[in-house]
Amino acid sequence: MNIEEIFDHTSFTIDRDPHIVLDYAVCTGCDNRGCVNSCPAKCYTWSEEDQKMTFVHDGCLECGTCYVVCHRSAFTRWRYPRGGFGVAYRMT
Amino acid sequence: MSKTYQAIVVGAGPAGSSAALIMARAGLDVALVERGTFPGEKNMFGGVLHRLPALEEIFPDFWDRAALGRHIIKKGVTFMTGDSSFSTVIESGNFDKTPYNGYSIFRPRFDNWLAQEAVKAGATLITRATVDDLVYKDGKLAGVSIVGRTGELLAPVVIAADGVLSFIAKKAGLRQPTFNPAQMAVGVKALIDMPREMIDDRFGLVREQGFANEFVGCTAGVRGGGFLYTNYDSLSVGLVFHLASLRVSGKTPYDLLNAFMEQPQLAKMISGGRLQEYSAHLIPEGGYEMIPELVGDGILVAGDAAALCNATGLNLEGINLASQSGVLAGKAVIEAHQNKNFSKQGLSVYKKLMDESYVIKDLKLYRKAPHMLHNDRIYNEYPELMCSFMEYIYRIDGAPKENLTKLFLKSAKEKVGLGNLLADGFSAWRAL
Repeated sequence: MNIEEIFDHTSFTIDRDPHIVLDYAVCTGCDNRGCVNSCPAKCYTWSEEDQKMTFVHDGCLECGTCYVVCHRSAFTRWRYPRGGFGVAYRMT
Repeated sequence: MSKTYQAIVVGAGPAGSSAALIMARAGLDVALVERGTFPGEKNMFGGVLHRLPALEEIFPDFWDRAALGRHIIKKGVTFMTGDSSFSTVIESGNFDKTPYNGYSIFRPRFDNWLAQEAVKAGATLITRATVDDLVYKDGKLAGVSIVGRTGELLAPVVIAADGVLSFIAKKAGLRQPTFNPAQMAVGVKALIDMPREMIDDRFGLVREQGFANEFVGCTAGVRGGGFLYTNYDSLSVGLVFHLASLRVSGKTPYDLLNAFMEQPQLAKMISGGRLQEYSAHLIPEGGYEMIPELVGDGILVAGDAAALCNATGLNLEGINLASQSGVLAGKAVIEAHQNKNFSKQGLSVYKKLMDESYVIKDLKLYRKAPHMLHNDRIYNEYPELMCSFMEYIYRIDGAPKENLTKLFLKSAKEKVGLGNLLADGFSAWRAL
């Protein structure tokens, strides 16, 4: 199985307004960044070169892993998407 | 928009829909609020739906009318290493007789079915509505505000069945403000499309029979385990990780899932299948110690929101506990309406009913299991020990035999240390 493909099999209705917002300065100062490897949807990317965190909410599975593993309270917003938006499971 | 009900249930999962169902049947005007476009759209699990005594009481024909899959007649545990595995399987004639012991289900179907039963009983289902906050009037809980469809829903009592992160319980001050990663697990799952005949032949099943298997040693040293179970024409394959362990491992859930599916024995089970859906969800695995305050003024907490999940390492229970707690919360609200008392004290019968039910009794009994399972040796050394020992037993190559007890102790000493073996055995015995 091509692991990059695994994410293409889940359906979403993407909200332009992100349901999760990060204070990236907190991430830059973080000694752990467990969100990057723990997120099952690969939403977090840390660039060592730029010393910068990137977060994309599009493929978020709304599981809450980042909310639990972040010990720096980097979230200025963490809520579920507006009603009707976000991940849409069919057969799970 | 502002509409008044006699009770509001946040979340149309097994806890919320069970609560709405029993309250609607008692004649209460209930709003069942769901953030998905339909109930079950956001839900995922990785295992077996067990018996639901609370719902079976409401529907004597529950098992005929619910949206279920195969009934599980065969359950296995596999200890796995890189390219070996040692399995034990129980297949019982009793598991093939009604009432069946467990089923595979699809949450988008099962949860939707249960919510529709609540609707049939008279509940108002409001989908596409994410509850944003609790509304207070004159110092009393008066309802909820929602986003998606903006507005307020008013009621003197709210049941928070909004899932594992329960922002409602947090807002009501009933749960801890932050979660401990040591009390949480994340599950990831691949749904693999496969022809029904292929599944029947491969796993030795006929008619509606199903198979469910747990795996240990398949998570590259991260605390956790794997599962595989059969649906009618697909397989569900996944892994569960303790978040405290995953966070520091540097490993990713999807790479580990990929490695699991490429393990030679697993690869044979899923070969010929086609990936259809990938999903993830948190599991509250802290056990009894993680349960929040179940009751506050005008509010009750049920299901995953109340961390009602029993993970002993052998079984993983959640939907049954959710449904039971939902029914009991609903009963407490019915009583509160009779007494016109929605204070914490007026709703406290819920806590009493819960303490008397198997939900809290079982969680109390297994309250040491979460600690026992925080032992890295279970996920690495023991599966290796089992596989290498069994391989030795079956290897016949002309080399002289050794006494098996001696050999076992020798390998155990090498892999885990005898002191650890004793301590772990004692800890498992105490926990289970």
